[in-house]
Amino acid sequence: MIGQSSASANSGEKKQAPRIGVYICRCGGNISDVVDIERVVQAASQIADVAVARQAPAMCSQAGQDLVTEDLRNQTVDRVVIAACTPSLHEHTFREAIARAGRNRYLYEHVNIREQASWCSKSDPQGATEKAIRLVAAGVAKARFAEPLSPIAVNARRHVTVVGGGISGLRAACDLARAGLPVAILEKSPFLGGRLVQWDRVYPTEQAASDLLRELLNEVAEQPGITVYTRAEIVEARGCVGDFQLTVKRQPRGVDDTLSPEELGAAIDACLVRVPSEHDFGLSQRKAIYRPCRDSYPNAAAIDWEHCTRCGDCLKAAGGKGICLDDSPELISILTGAIVLATGYDLYQPKPGEFGFIDYPQVITLAQLERLLDPDGPTGGSLARGGRPIQNVCLIHCVGSRQIEGLHEPGLDGKIHEYCSRVCCTATLRAAAEVRRGLPATNVFELYQDIRTYGRNHEQYYEDAMRAGVIFLCYAADQPPLVLKNPASGGAPLSVVVKDRLTFGEELEIPADLVVLATGMVPRNLDPIIDRLKLSRSAEGFLQEVHPKLRPVELAVSGVFVAGTSQAPMDLAESCSSGSAAAVKAAALLSRGHIELDPFRARVDRDRCRGEGKCVEACEHQKAITFVETASHGETSRCAQVNSALCNGCGICVAACPHQAIDIAGWQLAQFDAIVDALVADYS
Amino acid sequence: MLPGSREKVPRILILATEACAYPGADHVGQIHAEYPTNAYIVRVPAPVIFPESFYLRCFEKGIAGILVMSCGHECPYPGAYDALAARIGRVHQRMIERKLDTSRLRLCAICTVCSKAFLKEVQQMHEKLLQVDAEPQHAP
Repeated sequence: MIGQSSASANSGEKKQAPRIGVYICRCGGNISDVVDIERVVQAASQIADVAVARQAPAMCSQAGQDLVTEDLRNQTVDRVVIAACTPSLHEHTFREAIARAGRNRYLYEHVNIREQASWCSKSDPQGATEKAIRLVAAGVAKARFAEPLSPIAVNARRHVTVVGGGISGLRAACDLARAGLPVAILEKSPFLGGRLVQWDRVYPTEQAASDLLRELLNEVAEQPGITVYTRAEIVEARGCVGDFQLTVKRQPRGVDDTLSPEELGAAIDACLVRVPSEHDFGLSQRKAIYRPCRDSYPNAAAIDWEHCTRCGDCLKAAGGKGICLDDSPELISILTGAIVLATGYDLYQPKPGEFGFIDYPQVITLAQLERLLDPDGPTGGSLARGGRPIQNVCLIHCVGSRQIEGLHEPGLDGKIHEYCSRVCCTATLRAAAEVRRGLPATNVFELYQDIRTYGRNHEQYYEDAMRAGVIFLCYAADQPPLVLKNPASGGAPLSVVVKDRLTFGEELEIPADLVVLATGMVPRNLDPIIDRLKLSRSAEGFLQEVHPKLRPVELAVSGVFVAGTSQAPMDLAESCSSGSAAAVKAAALLSRGHIELDPFRARVDRDRCRGEGKCVEACEHQKAITFVETASHGETSRCAQVNSALCNGCGICVAACPHQAIDIAGWQLAQFDAIVDALVADYS
Repeated sequence: MLPGSREKVPRILILATEACAYPGADHVGQIHAEYPTNAYIVRVPAPVIFPESFYLRCFEKGIAGILVMSCGHECPYPGAYDALAARIGRVHQRMIERKLDTSRLRLCAICTVCSKAFLKEVQQMHEKLLQVDAEPQHAP
């Protein structure tokens, strides 16, 4: 037997020795492919106070949880150590399992041997195994001190803040409002709708995107519980689940809705500033006072403060009213119980020269093609470039997606995008078929690696494109198409050279009037909000959910949820589903009006406290520690007292006390000493 | 010592904050980046909980190096980071008095996605400890 027994672990108090159950997860090979699980089980069974040591293919499965609950129910064990994935993933799962077995959920310690042993030590299985053994021993050492604790119930604000006014954010806001929760929508831009306003028709329904958006915006307008803040960004976030305190910076709009359409038109005409239109992906220009499109919401225009020169010409043209160029940003405070992040995506921006982008004006992105095909777009739906009719169009798939380290150069963001952006194949097929239908004399070529029409009814677009006469050419990742200037005068301006795998590598040269790059979705720069809310990102840079299957819209910070493409590339239907899922999770969290928080708060050992007040001085959190007068044997003395509702469990008071009279429940200093002892112990 | 284990590998204790550095360490695992297996991560609410004696005891027990991975000035607990930094300074002073190499205790800030910084800190501490005497050192 190895390790300290419970007798010394419990300050000399005569207690029954703990019976600790150690349960080690193979995680379907994620752990056991590197860590020698049998050896860890064997070593764990030798540790003092370990009653059983077991393993399971997946501890989080019902069968795995049953191992634990059965041992608890038949009193084989009275506390539990689970060695598995990160606690942020399944600590809650196992606490619930322990509670179902009728035991206190805090008689449990979680040991992380996946993220912090197997996954970070793949080339050193022996080292990973030894590390796992020591980590398990440390978990056992801490579990010896575990004691029954009760969660702290705190009031939860029945209010949700949705960050992002695109389709997933709007969907989430509407669903939350229908569930009776007040909602604040924070949209960074001056207008709601996100990317949806930039598309004409959307798959798989072929519904007009504007109709879809109007329907959703009508829902928003009909819900009195929804407050919309445009041009709003979180600049400070405090608090925790149930009680977040957000400081939001709101830029002024600069234009109110008192202007008539004629007055607004005159003001826009008067503006001399011209900047590339985000709405048209740079294919057109807009003014510094602008509306992105006819159906924008809110209907009022806005001023682009970054480019506005404040010359006042617009104000004069509008008759001296309805426009204010002197407003300052305002800070508003929002108290909210949960946050849904629906911050959307960016599109991959090809580097200059990548497939001829920038070098040749005839090379555009798929998003730009969508704008050109839109009857309300910058060309009224015409593809003609420079007056020249389009005879041949080449659409190149996977630009900025499925990149391979060593084969592809990092993009403008310095990253290699190895993931498939998923939605581009169907979007490209849809666009190709539309070009063929609108311009039957135009030849359309799709240059692809694989066609991944994964979604429901998406394959129909592949079939439609084939029936419409789109010509498919398959290229290999290491032999991408070349986009060159066509040396022949008078013909197509470009030439696309591709080795077609369908004809066993035959090299084909296609004269091209237009080359379209199907660029994928890339994560937005969310550094500020990630820093403020302490969130995690996936390897690709999107927001990282707790678990892709079991907790797909929850982020690691309790009370913060993710919706839509801030999590991963997804289409409109998936974004809506994701928004609804986040809304349901947030509503369920706040529906009871209170939340149970972990009871890891400071507590005072009155026998040791001498009333010196070091802890009171050290506590900087809302005076969570105060003095109380106590009377004993006719003498009055003072003693520290913790207000658990105010204490945030930081432990700043613990180190301040020279008499070790204050500790954090569940994180006792003695537990950390025991962990250290276990990490350095001899396990031979 | 574990059967067949490599002897004299200096053990690194990483005190990782629950809000920042611990998920940061998870992120390193999630991207399958590797670091030496002698680095043991312990989750803590905030390392400000540890008195000076805790660090000295760790060295006495045989921990070769300690990385205190905090949230830095992004710490969610008011005043905790400044108090921690001051305390680490005092521990360094006591280490000097005990003729302990102060580079064996390092305070750094690691966020939830600081994978490169995490790996650099661990690797540097590992290499440093291979150079110094990592045997348990007791107070004179």
